[in-house]
Amino acid sequence: MPQPGHFRLHGRAQPPLVAGDYVIEGDQSIPEEPSARFDSYRGHLRVTAPRFRLPPDHILSTFPPANSEGAYETRLPQIVLRRRTLPWERSTDPEVPWLALVVIAEGEGELSAEKKVEDCVTPGVTLTGPNDVATGVHLTVTESVVKKIFPTKDDLPLLTHVREVDIHDTELAMGDDDGFMAVVLANRLPQFDRVECKPIRYLACLINLEGQYDVLPPPSEPVDRFIATEFVYDAALALEQYQIDPDLAQMGVGHVAQLQQMQRSGGATRARQAGSAADTSSVRAGLQKGSYAGASQPKTMQQWQLATQTVENVAVTAPSGEASRLVRDAMKVGFRFPIEGFTYERVFRFPVLTHWSFTVTGAGGFETLMRNLDVGLLGTLPAPREDAARPPCADPPAGAAPPPTAIARPEPELAETGHVGLPHLTRRGEQIRAWYRGPLTPHVMVRDRDPETEDGRTPLAHTSDQLRRVVPDGREDLSLAAAFEIGRLLALSHPSIVAALMRWRREQFGAARAKKIVELAAGSVALLKDAVHDVGVTADLGRLLGRSVILASAKDPEHVLAPVRPLKDPARPIEFLVNRDIDEVLSVGFGIPLKTLHTMRERMDASVLSEVPVPVSPKGPEMAIDRDALQHALAERVNAIATDVLRGQKDVITHRSTAKTRKRSEPEPDALDELLDVAARRRREEIEG
Amino acid sequence: MKVTLTATQVMNVMKDVVTSTHPAPTDEGDLGDRIVPRDLRQFLARLRLLGGVPFSYLVPDSQLLPPESIRFFYLDRAWTDALVQGALSVGTVNSSDRAQLEQLYPAIRDEIDEEERIVRVPGSEGARVGRAGQVTGFLLRSRAVSGWPGLHVRAYRSDVVGDDEMVDEGHPDRLKLLRLERLAPAVLLALFDGVPAVVHIEEPRQGVQFGVRLDSAGGANTFRAFVPARSASTGRDLEPQRDMRVHFRAGAPGVIDMRKTAEEFLNTPGTNMGSALDGAEFALQMIRFPYRQVFGDPSVTAPQPIDAVFRPTVAYTLKNLEVRFSEVIR
Repeated sequence: MPQPGHFRLHGRAQPPLVAGDYVIEGDQSIPEEPSARFDSYRGHLRVTAPRFRLPPDHILSTFPPANSEGAYETRLPQIVLRRRTLPWERSTDPEVPWLALVVIAEGEGELSAEKKVEDCVTPGVTLTGPNDVATGVHLTVTESVVKKIFPTKDDLPLLTHVREVDIHDTELAMGDDDGFMAVVLANRLPQFDRVECKPIRYLACLINLEGQYDVLPPPSEPVDRFIATEFVYDAALALEQYQIDPDLAQMGVGHVAQLQQMQRSGGATRARQAGSAADTSSVRAGLQKGSYAGASQPKTMQQWQLATQTVENVAVTAPSGEASRLVRDAMKVGFRFPIEGFTYERVFRFPVLTHWSFTVTGAGGFETLMRNLDVGLLGTLPAPREDAARPPCADPPAGAAPPPTAIARPEPELAETGHVGLPHLTRRGEQIRAWYRGPLTPHVMVRDRDPETEDGRTPLAHTSDQLRRVVPDGREDLSLAAAFEIGRLLALSHPSIVAALMRWRREQFGAARAKKIVELAAGSVALLKDAVHDVGVTADLGRLLGRSVILASAKDPEHVLAPVRPLKDPARPIEFLVNRDIDEVLSVGFGIPLKTLHTMRERMDASVLSEVPVPVSPKGPEMAIDRDALQHALAERVNAIATDVLRGQKDVITHRSTAKTRKRSEPEPDALDELLDVAARRRREEIEG
Repeated sequence: MKVTLTATQVMNVMKDVVTSTHPAPTDEGDLGDRIVPRDLRQFLARLRLLGGVPFSYLVPDSQLLPPESIRFFYLDRAWTDALVQGALSVGTVNSSDRAQLEQLYPAIRDEIDEEERIVRVPGSEGARVGRAGQVTGFLLRSRAVSGWPGLHVRAYRSDVVGDDEMVDEGHPDRLKLLRLERLAPAVLLALFDGVPAVVHIEEPRQGVQFGVRLDSAGGANTFRAFVPARSASTGRDLEPQRDMRVHFRAGAPGVIDMRKTAEEFLNTPGTNMGSALDGAEFALQMIRFPYRQVFGDPSVTAPQPIDAVFRPTVAYTLKNLEVRFSEVIR
């Protein structure tokens, strides 16, 4: 696959099977068993391909675009087909495509209405095999047109090729699925009508050549130049004379019958037809129409514009389901002359798979147009040229009325600065001339060029009259005033902009009032006054001030509001602990000699404490009483605990059995447990015994 | 709670507030806080680029822009300023409004200067920032505009780019397009951010086209056609260029005689196409690439000095008379 931006060209793409009905036959025999018989297989296969109508999704693009207008004189019309094998799918000779793109101008052929497909080919030709649709359209052309503009059989392979592109390349692949596409070129460069100097509509038809290859013209004697005004064929000439209505002709009524009669009886029509057919190289001069083309130009121009307009209207208004059919129908306008009704030449019909029309509105192409542009700065009058706007057209024939001249316009009054003198109706009703220059000037303009101000900036204007200037020659220069006025009108024409301006004004006004109040309030404080002055106008100052005071306070509250309370408070100091040695405090408090404490700390061993005698309080009468009471209370307490333990042991038994798994987390029974056990045993004996 | 506030503290805070805060944060546009609300700013910037201004205000006389012409110009900033002032005047009702707008106007002007550069920002391009400079542009009135929708327009500050080269959007010498719009089916307006030395206008690159180059062959309405030869092995044009004549069928204008043309193609040395021509080889020779017109190439001198066209009738202060564009055909 070629890389993006590149493409590869192939001469053709051969389909494995051309369209048609096939029979597959299968037989089987076994040499070792000659007597064995098998049923032979017989299957039917149909290879389909479009024949009378191309489904729209087969078309990738066309050039020139359908219904477009432009100078396409140097470009060959083309159609790009999605299916790469399509141009060869019905070919009898694998080298020669069965499709051709022919381009006919208005009047050179007739595009029929929907007809049965049997009627879509020249009478006498029959196309065998299955058809894709029941009805189709066909192109009717005379033998002379076929001879002049149709490709020869040898041309067909040259006009068709296959292009291979990268499918990711949006510009080249245009959304194709496999990156291969078939291209069919036309063999005709569409020309501008130089005789009548008017645009020509062309119809590009993709036609089916099946069974009619022999109709195609033989190779002719080539020339290396062509005369663009040469006459090909124009059915419209006859039509104009007899006012044939294509619709009536189609229905076989009205003028057609008359016309055919007239033609058969010979006479002027026949002579003229024969004349134009015989003298094929005759230049289609205006004489044939009996008047100079210039006079009829408005009419023909109108027709062409009408046709293009109609197609556009149909495209916009048609219901979506029928749009494609109706648009194609509308494009036929101008290609519906009932040629078969009046010509004595051989007439051929070719099935049309698809067709589109375009208009050549100018001579040359893009390159010619760009090269012939009149280049200059704005404010330059066009350079005098013989005929810059119109393409070179044929000279009017001698004796014809002179071409209508354009109404002469006075040259604009143009100043070197780009100013244009324009009529000015003043407010008092005087008709004078004033200078005007738009925003587009031929010179570099300095933006701030007001001579009356220091920096050159024009002070803001509030009405357009402030911008009116009088230039040294005594006339007014209304450029800026006009600009101001159109700006004002443009703003007024947008209700949303007016609303936005008014809303903005209200906001500004509120801000100004806030500023005024601040100024008044802070009038005595020089500091604030300066600050307010520096900033200028502020909107919504009050809200801002409040928010900012809070934010600033939050940032530095110790200074603005109050010192911060610490996270935790220290407790009250204990008096006797203050400024005393800790050992001394311990020694006094617990009655341990100071020396023992020191030894304990040195050895890091608390066993020395066992040797310390417990201080006993001096005997006293009140103490004795106390001892008995204490003894009693203790006994009671021990009993209570023992009872508790007894009660608890029952729980403990069940507890232990269930809690075996938790053993690890349970502490080993220690001295206290032993004591409790003893107390509990004693208590139990007491109770039981 | 007891709070102590001293006068100095309050004053300091208020000073901070008043000096540090941007006035009137009215929106959150992509330019950040501005004085002018965003919708107004965008409208005024579009107005600066002449959006919506009637065509007769741009070109007061049709002869200034005749059919099939291109006219280059400088944008008059004073004119667009007046336009903006007119639009702003809608929002003032009384004299205090006007006094206020007068104070505010320099800031508004600067903001729209910034905004006008981001009116048209195509995907890959970054917007230029800073104060507005000189704006130039052209008006093209031609059938090329109506027949070829989607013309490519590029402008360069200096002529460093080869006439056939492709340059991406980010090239430093490439001027940014402020506006590119069809004002009418056949009238194209382009505005550039700066003064270009060269302007390229190119045919749209839609698909691949086939065709010839037409050449007048003496007599009236008589044409010859040719195509520059390409080598079938490389796909490139031959160096030096060798033109191959295209032959036509007698009596039918524009109908190509393929047999003779194919012969001509085969007989041209260098095309490397073997003994027979097929569809692909024919197509290769007929492919036409988009045409590019270059304006302002200094290597070609103007046939007629543009000054000669002007007739001085009004005395007017001009600080800098500079004529950059000249008629050039590549």
